[in-house]
Amino acid sequence: MPIIVNLDVMMAKRKMSLNELSEKVGLTLSNLSILKTGKAKAIRFSTLEAICQALDCQPADILEYKKE
Amino acid sequence: MEIKITSTQILRLLYILSWILFIGLCIEAGAFIFNTFYALVINPAAANNTVQGVDLTALYNHDQGYFITQTLLMIIAAVLKACLFYLIIKLLHDKKLNMSKPFNTDMNRFIFNASYLALGIGLFSWWGTKYAEWLMKKGVAMPGIQYLRVGGADVWLFMGVILLVIAYIFRKGTEIQTENELTV
Repeated sequence: MPIIVNLDVMMAKRKMSLNELSEKVGLTLSNLSILKTGKAKAIRFSTLEAICQALDCQPADILEYKKE
Repeated sequence: MEIKITSTQILRLLYILSWILFIGLCIEAGAFIFNTFYALVINPAAANNTVQGVDLTALYNHDQGYFITQTLLMIIAAVLKACLFYLIIKLLHDKKLNMSKPFNTDMNRFIFNASYLALGIGLFSWWGTKYAEWLMKKGVAMPGIQYLRVGGADVWLFMGVILLVIAYIFRKGTEIQTENELTV
């Protein structure tokens, strides 16, 4: 898929672990893992909002479009 | 006192019924294969299959090629029917019926296979019926279609087409469920 999820990059920048993010966002570890590994087919605006809030970033910092 | 029949009980009953039908169809298919082989190789008198009420002696005496073709069509239809019930038994035995997530690849594959088998049974039954009718027109004394076990071709074809439509709808359902599961 040409949409790349840079969640791991942002997490590293903010020095936040997956467990910590999971607690802050209210998502399960498996769902966060799906998102992090790029297996997710869709993301809800509410999830994106919660992640941006927890990581103090913009949606564009997490999602990126790259031509295949 | 109220008696409640749950879906688990119905599935259990269907499982037993499928086993009975499967064994019966295996015996039928086996008897057809054995009789044909026996009539062709050992004793032509076996063309009169008294167990199943099929007397193909006249056909055997008329032409062995026609006899082989007719019995082959009967055998294929019987074997496909047995395969269909084997699929049902396998599905119920392996417990691949996940009621919480009914749209899964196993169920989808089962419906597709069942539809192909039903279409196959319909096709070979129709062929067998037409072939028997053609032989009757040629003046060969043939037993009734119901004795040849190739009747109801239109019903099988109808069922096959319906199952195929359901299979394609199921495939779409599986895709939507997978997408739903991967929405975070």
